[in-house]
Amino acid sequence: MNCEVCHLKELEVEHFEIREVLRCILHTIVFHRALGLVRPKDIDLELFEITYVQCGDVEVEKKIDEKIEQFISWVEKHPNKKSQICLSFYEVKNKQQSWFTNKIERLYWEQWYVNLNVIQLPKAHSSKSHHSKVVVDPGESTSEERSIRRAALEASLRDVLFQIIKFVNEKKDHVPPISEGVVYFPYEITLPSSSDSAFGMDMIKRMLQTGHPTMLS
Amino acid sequence: MASSHSNVHSEAAKMEQIITEFHTKSLHIILESRSPYVSSRNFSGEQILSSPSSSCSSSSSVRPRDKWFNLALRECPAALENLDLWRQSNLEPMVIDVILVQRPVNWDTVNVSPKRELVRNLSSKGRYPFCWGFDQEEIGCEGKSEKIVERWVVKYESRKVRDCSSGSRRSSNNTLSNVYKKSILLLRSLYATVRILPAYKIFRDLNSSGQICTFSLAHRVSSFVEPFTRKEEAEFQRFGFTPVDTSCGRLCISVLYRSSLSDVNSEPSTPITPQVIPDYVGSPLADPLKRLPSFPISHGSPSSLPFSRRHSWSYDHYKASPPSVSFSPSPTYSEPLVSISSPRSRCYPPMSLPPHPPETSLVHKKDTGFDEYCPSPNFTPSASPSPPIYIPGGHLSKGLLRTESAPFSIPAAKLSSNKQNLFPSSPIKIARSGTSKTEKSLGPIQNGATIEKLLSLGKDDSRRYSGVKLSGNSSPQISFSRSSSRSFQDDFDDEFPCPFDVEDIVPNSRLESFDQKGLLSDPHDPGGFFPIRKSQDAAVGALVCMLKKAPPLRQDLSSTTNLSEVSRPESWSNNILEPRRISEVPSGQNAPSLSVLSSSLLSSKTTADALEELQSYKEMKNLLLSQGGRSHASANYPSPAEPSSRGSNA
Repeated sequence: MNCEVCHLKELEVEHFEIREVLRCILHTIVFHRALGLVRPKDIDLELFEITYVQCGDVEVEKKIDEKIEQFISWVEKHPNKKSQICLSFYEVKNKQQSWFTNKIERLYWEQWYVNLNVIQLPKAHSSKSHHSKVVVDPGESTSEERSIRRAALEASLRDVLFQIIKFVNEKKDHVPPISEGVVYFPYEITLPSSSDSAFGMDMIKRMLQTGHPTMLS
Repeated sequence: MASSHSNVHSEAAKMEQIITEFHTKSLHIILESRSPYVSSRNFSGEQILSSPSSSCSSSSSVRPRDKWFNLALRECPAALENLDLWRQSNLEPMVIDVILVQRPVNWDTVNVSPKRELVRNLSSKGRYPFCWGFDQEEIGCEGKSEKIVERWVVKYESRKVRDCSSGSRRSSNNTLSNVYKKSILLLRSLYATVRILPAYKIFRDLNSSGQICTFSLAHRVSSFVEPFTRKEEAEFQRFGFTPVDTSCGRLCISVLYRSSLSDVNSEPSTPITPQVIPDYVGSPLADPLKRLPSFPISHGSPSSLPFSRRHSWSYDHYKASPPSVSFSPSPTYSEPLVSISSPRSRCYPPMSLPPHPPETSLVHKKDTGFDEYCPSPNFTPSASPSPPIYIPGGHLSKGLLRTESAPFSIPAAKLSSNKQNLFPSSPIKIARSGTSKTEKSLGPIQNGATIEKLLSLGKDDSRRYSGVKLSGNSSPQISFSRSSSRSFQDDFDDEFPCPFDVEDIVPNSRLESFDQKGLLSDPHDPGGFFPIRKSQDAAVGALVCMLKKAPPLRQDLSSTTNLSEVSRPESWSNNILEPRRISEVPSGQNAPSLSVLSSSLLSSKTTADALEELQSYKEMKNLLLSQGGRSHASANYPSPAEPSSRGSNA
């Protein structure tokens, strides 16, 4: 079973927008992969005029929120960096215990990469995003600029959601069969590592993942 | 072979069922997010918060239909209705049009709000279309524009039969479980998609807004629709979900949607401002239980205050009327408040009472009613001087000015020396100030009471004065009439045209001269109608003098006739007292015993004189009515055709 990978469109977000954007994207993905009996829960974003759907599971909500908080704290330590959050769905395969590992094998059959570019406008912080092409100057912090940015982000977020829907529609064969009593497929959310060269490490990790199911922290 | 055959049949049946339920579920998903007031968003959210069990495990509380495709949704009446109408085979497509209905901005009706969307099934089965759920349909349907903002097409494309019989159906991709899984995925994405499309914002605005919206969403489910023209289709964007292949076909969902709905005024219109009814006609006194006309409704607190005012107003005038009477219209207003504002997400106009129009109209009514104010017979003297609570100050001052400037203030001063408590004329004058719109309900009663009193006075002088010695209830009436007559004589415009106006000032002087001289020498003496305004003692004295000087009954019948003529109340005629009758009274005649004379007088006055007096009263009344009609169109006295009955009312 091949692992389908979907790289979502990069979003340029401000620090305070991370939580809502990530919740929206991650819950939408999980909802599409919670194929058990669900009672969908509509959530209206506060910052944007977008309504996304949660699968309604409390555990899912808790886990996602935890990861988001970890990511935010990571972003605070590594400001102005492009970051990536990986949402992976796997199947649990019992593997015979080998001599070096007793782990339960995970067979990833789908991975979603959420690409964020967290920018910081020069209000409290004077640092500028070297990845961002936007020149940081006091003019950007005007409310008009902010609203323009907000509108652009909303459109981009909508595009990302459409991207998810299209991907879910196009790729269905790789989805494992639904187990009785299981609401959602097991998943994990991977945050960038704390290393400086997070992008490179992610690439290496991705290379290691394919064909080699390993436990990722 | 047989088992496989039965398996095939069962599989085919199951597949058929999956296809049918797929249509049902997709219709449900689409309509619940396009049909305002009903959506699973509220349901599921509340469910999550309120129910202790998680949504995933609470399968027992899920209806059997909800378990289809593992998507538990709230009941959608619109979808259910359409499902009842939708008895199509799986081979016919299901087209769902989401229509944006915009009403004109200058929409001045009240109580209009879309309760439900229009559901019209234009299928080939020829079902009749339903109408809008407007309260005022004729207004709601006029001037509205409809625009299709979305068109969903759910269909099952079947392949040719020979393709179905091929072994393709046995591939793993087309097994029932696989089809079912893929259908679940498709419907999940459909559920998310309907919330991303632009029309969802309209739906959400309609649901959340509690104000009057100039637009609404409707839907139409049919199996065949006219395709869009090329020009129309250019305005749409298409999104097609990946079909789910089945053994004999594939399930397809696609949508044509308008990417921009900027022409929709998503901001709900401002609430209809309270409108003042300038020419509201209606007196709370005339009909305290009358329901006020339907006001334009808007946001606002229930206007308990105007009703309390009205209550106090009516209560002051009608002691007998309980407070609950005047409050009776208010429950009728509270009913729309309860029934309509209860649905949380409905886009209803706020059905609360505007505080201002009733106040204005009530104040207006008070103006008229105050001018029509005539104390009821039940009015106690203590109450009558006190004006109603909400008296327009201007009127009050105006009335006072009028009374002070009126010549008839003189008898008021005269009366003040004589048992003024029986003649509380000042509040009466206040009541008469301002416009002279007559009080309809009290007028006849008052007139009847006055007539009765005057009749009794005409019959018997002694009784007359006993009638004069009234309780505080009736005396104000009489004095009221007298004061009005005086004002009438003095050509005041705000007359209270009382048909029993009599001269008063002069009779006072006449009586005094009468007392002094013992002669009815004053040419303006009304004669038979002794001035009631005088004190009782003076009146009695005048009567005694008259009786003393009257000719003997036995000797001269003509004198008796003259006496009867004297008593004739033809002096009631318009403002001019005929002195001749007074002068006709012979003087110096030896009067018989007082008792005999009085009895003769009594007898002479019981029948014909009474009738003559009545006749004169009628004439006078008609005359005054005609004069009153000229000056005030609103003055409307019922004819005292039945004075006795009216007298009984007093």
